[in-house]
Amino acid sequence: MWLWLVLLLSPIIASIPIAVAWEFNRNIGRKLPVLSVVGLFISFLVTLYILLFVEEGRFSYPWLPGIEIAFIVDYLSKYMGVLTGFIAFVIGVYGLEYMKDDYRLGWYWFFFNLFTASMLMVVYSDNLLSLLIGWEGLGIASWGLIGHWFRDDDELSYVGVINRKVGFLKMFWSPSTGGWRAISTIRLGDMPMFFAVAAIFAFAGNLNISQIDWELLIEKIGSFGVAVLLLAFLMGPFTKSAQLPFSEWLMTAMTGPTTVSALLHSATMVAAGTYLFMRISWYIEPWKIHDAGIEFIYLLVLFLGLISSLYGALVALASRERKVLLAASTMSSLGLMFAAAAASKWIGEFAIVVAFWYLITHAFAKATLFLVAGHLIHETHDRFLCGDLEVAKKMKLTFIVTIIATVMLAGIPPLTAYWVKSAMDEVMHALYEVGKAPLFLLIVISAIYSAFLAKFLSMNFVKGRHVHLHLHGGGLMKTGYTLMVSMLFLLLAVILLGIDEHVEEFVKAGFNVTSFMVGVLVTVAYAIGFVKPTLETKVGQVLADRFYLMALNDFIVPKIGYAFVTAVDYGNRAIDFFTHRAIPGLFESVSKGIRVLQTGRLSHYVQLALGALMLLLIVVSVAGW
Amino acid sequence: MELTIPLIILALGAAFGLRKPEISLVTALVALALSIVVEAAILVSAMIAFVAILNIAALFLMKKSYLRGVDYALVSLMLIATVVALYSTSFAMLILAFILVSTPTYMLVMASESGAKVDVGVKYITFMVVATILFIIGAALTIYGGSVNSESIQTVGICLLVLGIAMEVGAAPLHYWVPDVFDTADPIPASIIASLAKFVPFVIAFKILFTVNTEKALLFIGVIAAISMLAGNIGALTSNKPARILAYSTVANMGYIIAALTVFYKPEFVYLAFAGVLLQLFANAFGKIGFFTAIREEGTNSVFSYIMALSFIGLPPLLGFWGKFYILAALIYANVMWLAVLLVINSAMSVPYYIRLANLLSGKPNKGLALCIIGISAIIMLLTVVPPNWLIDSSKVLVGYFKLGGV
Repeated sequence: MWLWLVLLLSPIIASIPIAVAWEFNRNIGRKLPVLSVVGLFISFLVTLYILLFVEEGRFSYPWLPGIEIAFIVDYLSKYMGVLTGFIAFVIGVYGLEYMKDDYRLGWYWFFFNLFTASMLMVVYSDNLLSLLIGWEGLGIASWGLIGHWFRDDDELSYVGVINRKVGFLKMFWSPSTGGWRAISTIRLGDMPMFFAVAAIFAFAGNLNISQIDWELLIEKIGSFGVAVLLLAFLMGPFTKSAQLPFSEWLMTAMTGPTTVSALLHSATMVAAGTYLFMRISWYIEPWKIHDAGIEFIYLLVLFLGLISSLYGALVALASRERKVLLAASTMSSLGLMFAAAAASKWIGEFAIVVAFWYLITHAFAKATLFLVAGHLIHETHDRFLCGDLEVAKKMKLTFIVTIIATVMLAGIPPLTAYWVKSAMDEVMHALYEVGKAPLFLLIVISAIYSAFLAKFLSMNFVKGRHVHLHLHGGGLMKTGYTLMVSMLFLLLAVILLGIDEHVEEFVKAGFNVTSFMVGVLVTVAYAIGFVKPTLETKVGQVLADRFYLMALNDFIVPKIGYAFVTAVDYGNRAIDFFTHRAIPGLFESVSKGIRVLQTGRLSHYVQLALGALMLLLIVVSVAGW
Repeated sequence: MELTIPLIILALGAAFGLRKPEISLVTALVALALSIVVEAAILVSAMIAFVAILNIAALFLMKKSYLRGVDYALVSLMLIATVVALYSTSFAMLILAFILVSTPTYMLVMASESGAKVDVGVKYITFMVVATILFIIGAALTIYGGSVNSESIQTVGICLLVLGIAMEVGAAPLHYWVPDVFDTADPIPASIIASLAKFVPFVIAFKILFTVNTEKALLFIGVIAAISMLAGNIGALTSNKPARILAYSTVANMGYIIAALTVFYKPEFVYLAFAGVLLQLFANAFGKIGFFTAIREEGTNSVFSYIMALSFIGLPPLLGFWGKFYILAALIYANVMWLAVLLVINSAMSVPYYIRLANLLSGKPNKGLALCIIGISAIIMLLTVVPPNWLIDSSKVLVGYFKLGGV
């Protein structure tokens, strides 16, 4: 019990002093971020403790009738927890320097730590309702962090070229817009998810992910019902993990501080979506269930993931901004994770393990790249891809770290991601029932992925335009990403030495000829991307403009919303008219009509009274009462 | 026949009273006391007597009057007639009671401190004469139709009877005299017309309808009730003179009470409807006495005026609430839903003008007798903080006198 409380509460409690102090005395506040990072460090230690010393199993504590707060330690959660704890801690250290001159440190650290605690809650929760608490914490914290620079006064924090317009679309986004786009998109997915969770409780009577009886659920509500229910449930992961068509918020989430992007894109938030999908798949065990509804959903996720991945890769390939390139690449990776996890329907548990290992590899590499990007933005005062060999010379360590991270993530043999990607190739290859398309798409995506990573390296350190560097400090930042990138070596060791039970398969897959061919292709793509990082074409422009998908967020949805607002406004006015004008007016005129009869003349009254009398008697006799 | 002695005392007192008003007052009070001890449901008689006492007390507020001395006797006479109407099962006695209640008001309405108001009297008397004729013809036809088993005669009779009541008590669409008389007459006589004079017509109507017990003309009564409620409430909404508001309030209240008449064909619920009618009449009577006195005094303190206004609105646990509540319950038991719904809507509609009335008449301290009359009228609204079960019991007793036994 204490273990979980310390794990979840230490980051939050440690961040409260700065959140409070910042409002009263900034001089004291500036000294307190270290305390927040200490809170993150405690959490990290607890996750390590869980990984090493806590036996796998469930830990449940009573909460509501029929619902308990349940944590689970299993293959997925023990690694994911350490990953989250470590990355959050390292980014926290990096942030000590990166954010030191910021104007809202209380806000930043409170939400940063809330973000971490929420993610840990999501990671370890076995109960869907307690998971939702963490899930919502992620939502609110991401809104707070993406829109952190709410004053919208620093062009460095925008996304897109300022004042650029294409047709009716504004092609630049401020931090406050970014925060709004994030929260509005996420809420859109959360709502069906809530209903799905409620439906699961209503039909299965159980919210513990590891105990929900899906066979029973299928029996009760049929294949179609389960398909609808799962689709509604997955709307949450789809929006959080920015799959098509909900990807726009992720691109403009780059308006937040780089530390936030790094955390958001590696171990938290977007990873939460894919992680949740892996987690429920782990226990649904779709490979054991033969049901059309389940099969449809997994097929849908497989292709949605692959297509989102392709989209993300293409956008990243054409992107000109450091962070947007990385954001699009994250989306691409998330697509691959979804696709690989969905393949478990046909392959079995191994597919989920592959997806999960890809998540881990990607998390470390992507966090490194973001931290590098943040450092570069600091030193060059420019958020677009730029920098020539001078940058590489003056920032040697940064240059080397970037090379390692890109090469390792691209899947060049025999480095870390190569083994995971090989296993993924094998998984996609084994999808006889679905066809050859997934494997083909995966290879294309891998090549493009490798190419834009090379482009990132080349445009920032070798072939970009000349920039003026403002070198100062950066010690903590360097420590941060060096630590981060070193983890990739650790992973490589784990894979090659076979420390984990599942990874032997990866190595076997890596020695497969096909996998090696793909590895060579990826290497060639990397080389091409490095040598020729830019190519101005019209197609490239469309890709860089993200296929104009922002029209959905910025034009179509607002129009629909505006139509709603207009309709509501008309209804409102009608009600106002009836209640404030028509009905009172009617009463007033009738009332005046009644009072106008009082002329004060007796003859008039007698006429009226006798007239009414006769009229009533006639009515009575005609109606036959 | 128990009433002979009070009547003789009263006649003697009135004769002497022209010289010495004090004698008339004493004899009026004695007659009043004698009249209420005669029969079983003494609480109802006592309450009505209390209304009469307040009326007499209010007459003291008038410094002088062309009727001084006789007016006490007239009020007392009205009370005796009302008590007779409650207990008598003789048709002739009921008609007599009706006339005895009606005619004293002809004189009272003209009373004022600046001589007799003949114009008001003419308006009032014209309508009252027509109303009395309609009522008597209607009552006779109804009873006659019952005895010869002619439904058409009976129906015409009931219609004329209801129209007579409507004109007598001032229900729409025959209410034209009410706003004029209430506004131009002196407030004290107006308060007597609005309070004590209202009991008898309804008691008699209940008895006659209960005796013939037909479902004919039910809808007609309901329609008159609905028109009266709506016309009264809507008319009051835009009135700004307190006396006019009270006039339309009377029209609306008469509508509520006529609505209760529709329950007559279900004998098992008549006691409930009758209890509602009595309570509503009490609430109306005390409220009208209080407000008219306040109009005469150009205001009262806000606590009293708001208590009376809230009672008229029907806020529990004030008197006005229980009247409406019993009527509503009876209507619902008797399955006259549409009228019950209308009654509730109308109660809601009446909120603005009663509050406005309370505001208009607030903010002036009273002294002496006026304070007493207004204060008692307001405080008596709190009588029903304990639910008025005693009235239900009394009502059950009185329903025993409903069946007419012949001429």
